[in-house]
Amino acid sequence: MKATSLLEGAGSALEMETVSKTFPGVRALDRANLSVSRGEVHGLVGENGAGKSTIIKILAGVYRADAGKVNVDGAPLEKIDPASVHRLGVRFIHQEISLVPHFSVAESVFLGQEQTGKFGTAKRLMRQRAEAFLTETLGVELDGRALVRDLSVAERKLVQIARALIDGQAKLVVFDEPTAVLAAAEVQTLFAAIDALRQAGKSMLYVSHYLNEIHQICDRVTVFRNGTDVGVMNLRQSQEPQVGVPEIIRLMVGRDIDDLYPQRQHTKRKQKALEVTDLDDGQRLRGVSLTVGAGEVVGLTGIIGSGRAELVDSLYGLRKIRSGQILVNEEPAKANSPARAVRSGLALVPRDRRNDGLVLDMTVADNVNLATLEEVSTLGWLNRAAASRRGDESMERLDVRPRGSQAVSRLLSGGNQQKVVLGRWLASQARVYVLDDPTVGVDVGARSEIYRLIADLAQAGAGVLMCSNDPAELLGMCDRILVIVRGRIIADIVAAETDLEQLTALATGGAEAT
Amino acid sequence: MTATTVETRRFAAAAPALRLLLARFPLLVFALLFVYMALGSEFFLEWRNISSILRQSAPDAILAAGLAVVVTAGGDDIVSGGIDISLPAAATLGVGILSDQLVNGRPFVLAMLLAAAAVVAVGLLNAVLVVKVGLTPLLATLASWVAVIGTTKWVINNRRITVDHQFISNVRDGTVLNVPIPAVFALAVLIVFSFWIHRTRFGHRLQASGGNRSAAEISGLNPDYFLARSFVMASLAAVVATLVLTARSSGLSPGIEERLLLDMVLATFVGAAFSFRRVVTVPGAMLGAVLVKALGSGFQLLNVDIFKVGMVKGVLILIVVASAALEAGQRR
Amino acid sequence: MTSTPPSSADTPTAVTTRSGWGRRLVDSLSRYGFVIVFFAFVVFFAVRADAFLNPSNLVNILEGNAVLLIAALAMTLVVASGGIDLSIGIAIDFGGWFAIIAMRDYNLTWASALLVGLLAGAAVGTLNAALVVRLKISPFLATLGTFFIGSSVQQIYTSGGGQVPFREMSESFRSLSTGAVLGIPTEIVLAGTVGLLYFVLLERSVHGKRIHAIGLQRSVASVSGIRVSGYLVFVFIFASATVALSGIILTAGLRQFTPLSGFSYLLDSIAAVFIGASMHPQRRPNVAGTLVGVLFLGVVSNGLNLMGLDFNLRDALEGIILVGALALAFTNRNNRAAEVSI
Repeated sequence: MKATSLLEGAGSALEMETVSKTFPGVRALDRANLSVSRGEVHGLVGENGAGKSTIIKILAGVYRADAGKVNVDGAPLEKIDPASVHRLGVRFIHQEISLVPHFSVAESVFLGQEQTGKFGTAKRLMRQRAEAFLTETLGVELDGRALVRDLSVAERKLVQIARALIDGQAKLVVFDEPTAVLAAAEVQTLFAAIDALRQAGKSMLYVSHYLNEIHQICDRVTVFRNGTDVGVMNLRQSQEPQVGVPEIIRLMVGRDIDDLYPQRQHTKRKQKALEVTDLDDGQRLRGVSLTVGAGEVVGLTGIIGSGRAELVDSLYGLRKIRSGQILVNEEPAKANSPARAVRSGLALVPRDRRNDGLVLDMTVADNVNLATLEEVSTLGWLNRAAASRRGDESMERLDVRPRGSQAVSRLLSGGNQQKVVLGRWLASQARVYVLDDPTVGVDVGARSEIYRLIADLAQAGAGVLMCSNDPAELLGMCDRILVIVRGRIIADIVAAETDLEQLTALATGGAEAT
Repeated sequence: MTATTVETRRFAAAAPALRLLLARFPLLVFALLFVYMALGSEFFLEWRNISSILRQSAPDAILAAGLAVVVTAGGDDIVSGGIDISLPAAATLGVGILSDQLVNGRPFVLAMLLAAAAVVAVGLLNAVLVVKVGLTPLLATLASWVAVIGTTKWVINNRRITVDHQFISNVRDGTVLNVPIPAVFALAVLIVFSFWIHRTRFGHRLQASGGNRSAAEISGLNPDYFLARSFVMASLAAVVATLVLTARSSGLSPGIEERLLLDMVLATFVGAAFSFRRVVTVPGAMLGAVLVKALGSGFQLLNVDIFKVGMVKGVLILIVVASAALEAGQRR
Repeated sequence: MTSTPPSSADTPTAVTTRSGWGRRLVDSLSRYGFVIVFFAFVVFFAVRADAFLNPSNLVNILEGNAVLLIAALAMTLVVASGGIDLSIGIAIDFGGWFAIIAMRDYNLTWASALLVGLLAGAAVGTLNAALVVRLKISPFLATLGTFFIGSSVQQIYTSGGGQVPFREMSESFRSLSTGAVLGIPTEIVLAGTVGLLYFVLLERSVHGKRIHAIGLQRSVASVSGIRVSGYLVFVFIFASATVALSGIILTAGLRQFTPLSGFSYLLDSIAAVFIGASMHPQRRPNVAGTLVGVLFLGVVSNGLNLMGLDFNLRDALEGIILVGALALAFTNRNNRAAEVSI
């Protein structure tokens, strides 16, 4: 992966020097530097609020810097606006995949840069060029006529990349959390595409929370903390992720986080919190059985299309099941709607936090109380003082910042939003927690707090089923890990007896379970 | 990668028969109704009847084309997306002004220009309310509907105006190559709008604005620009509809706008069932208008109570949108 | 009702730039700007039309808009749940129509007739609920379909819209419109009671909280264990039964049922709901706001009337004032600012 065309003294694709930016009340950037050499993949990491999105927005021309210099390809940029940056060959691959569902691949790739012929848009030409680009530059075969809504998430990501690069003018490509929406195996497809771009001489800036990925794909990494750069590491020299990654974390948080994952004493209890037998939906799930004991944290991993999402949906009551049984606290649970699932004692923390996690336009207190409104009411009359008090207590306990349970949830950062989602269920008497990618888009600091909360839940006797794309997190948190492939649980391993490589191999079907 | 792709594809095609049935169900219902009508009345398939259907449906089809443009630019979520319910009111205002002016002896060209200016002004008002003020299109066009209806009443004193003008009569009764002139106008709108929306760079971007607002923004487009343009374009359709409507009822009969509104919305969303991608399109909307009118005509030939036709339309809109919703559910 | 794209997860900065006291001042000015304009109109009419501030005229305004208020409250509930109900006109019609039929053709007492009317409205709501919840049709199109069907049913059974008179209506039924309780006209009492009920339901009860949650972000409500389908069924049926009451009051006042007369309340009630929503910090439909919206519409209509303007001109002015008022209420607030991420 690290075979590069990086030449010493080849010059810089991007130089940002002593950039400062102050928002009312917040110093977002304080003389920050960022430099990307020609032809390298350069990582950018930092906790939320460290200033990495601010500096990228300055580069994109969305914000104007108060002070500092920006050079693109050796030429100083005087006035930065989206158009001029685009002209200089800087392209942004946004975290979210925004495509028109009913557009074809070709139409999506050429959106905003349509080719026209004698009779309006040249549909066939655009299709041929889109297909050729996807095959030759990104290494994926896609029908230019296929509709976006029928594509997998990874395919959509590639379409998004193709859209940014099809004009051939790209010199510096900025990836913002490109893998947040992808499963482990799909990440490799993306990395292959990034590698292909590197071979083609493009420079890339790669922003991510996933330090393992940074380590795998990047040549160098710049670490941001408190609005400035605190270090640049050359990753090609430290070959071992075990050495490199903790070093990055140390720079990011300014202290050692040995205890990213809390120490857990596993006390085995006999009671089963969740038991699933022979779950079958006639399509993606083919007889799934699993158990989660009280006080146990069980991990679940599987690539996209493995049936993982469908299994979670079935537990949530969002998916019709044909046969099989779900027992919660050893009592049969009818899972035909989320409301039923919740009443049978499940707590659901969904993956898509923005759409499914919080009512963004309601206050934090409202969101905390949403699942347990009857506990702060008498005969349907809402006791607003009690509701607000419970919101405050929850924020205190979860260390949600900024404090103030009457704040609108939209204004919180991703990590704090996730804490509020967890807070909703802590207020309930749920005994089984189904957490679907609970730390996506959450920075390291908040992440360790969320891990601590999960550990506390298990300590208190709840069963936790933790579904994740991040094998490291599963290894750190879980007692057992389940691997689902093609609708079946193919492995049920004690976490202490496995490692990253084995897990990835199992999930991608590269190894047999032992 | 390739493995997962294949897997996804196969799943998408897991229940193709059911999906296809759901997708084609509205078409099936239409087809069966037409077969039934053709069998019930020989006259139904005669050119005389067909040309009468075309003549009658031209105003609805033209307005539906306008609405289709707004829905395309604003998205098909009716509450928060693009919709222009003021189109029939704008056209009615145009009819009122045109009729009033002609009756008062104003030359046709001048009268038509005045009417067109008023109609386009409504489109501009909508554009300002939506893009500058930030009202949702539903609310904005609802408000302008109320304002325009009130203005129309005031302009024409809330009376029936009968126009006896050579040009209007020609539009009403004339044909070109056996095709009624109103249908020729509709055809012109079809060609111009289809090309505009479905074959040009501008149209492609306008579609993207409605299909996914943030996708358009990220591609460097300004969705509000396209939404504003769509309201103006729709009002241009309403200008054409003004002329055809004036011809259809030989002037202005107050209160036609409500029926027009419902038929226009019905036609536009029924039309989505006729497009390959199940989205609102200009040709689909116009075809929808013709077919809805044909149903009405067919029921009349079969001596079905005119009031029951409203019921059929209601059931029809429900069948169409229910099968679209259920099909979308299958796709997931 | 537009959902602006949520700002990127890790950009608290976007928030900071927006607050600040200057912005807040502009915000609250535009938030209450509408109320200011409302009072400006009141003052204007008070000056231009002497009779406007007469207590009897003020009572007239309240009484004349009681029916609209009830319809608008029902619409508030539906819009709060994330939907819209275009068929309230049908429920208004059916309420009055069936109450009259119950008394005229079946000799039922006024109380039973009232109940029959409410049930007829609830039946309309049940159809809407079935279409929206069962068949998953969007509320706009589902209730539009109901509107077509309901209009057609009325035309079929009234031979194309003929009036259904009932002159021998019992005094008790008639007093639903013309009577008074403790000197207050019954219509105002009824509308006030419905208003209080809706306020408690929507703004002070757990059910209201859940309905708002469903309307704002349905999937969140769902995974929080809220029975979304159950609440939507309730909302559509309860709203339709509520507006049936307006229909009953109308027929009681006129001693006859005029088919398709309910339609005229549709646009005004939607306008009132959104005027009200514009005054909420998160632009949520709310009971107090709807009340202000209805009063505004009522005051404008009454004032223009008192100024002795031509009937047709008055209609035009009313419409133009509505456009202006909405424009003012929404300007500067949440103006679909394009929030570019990265």
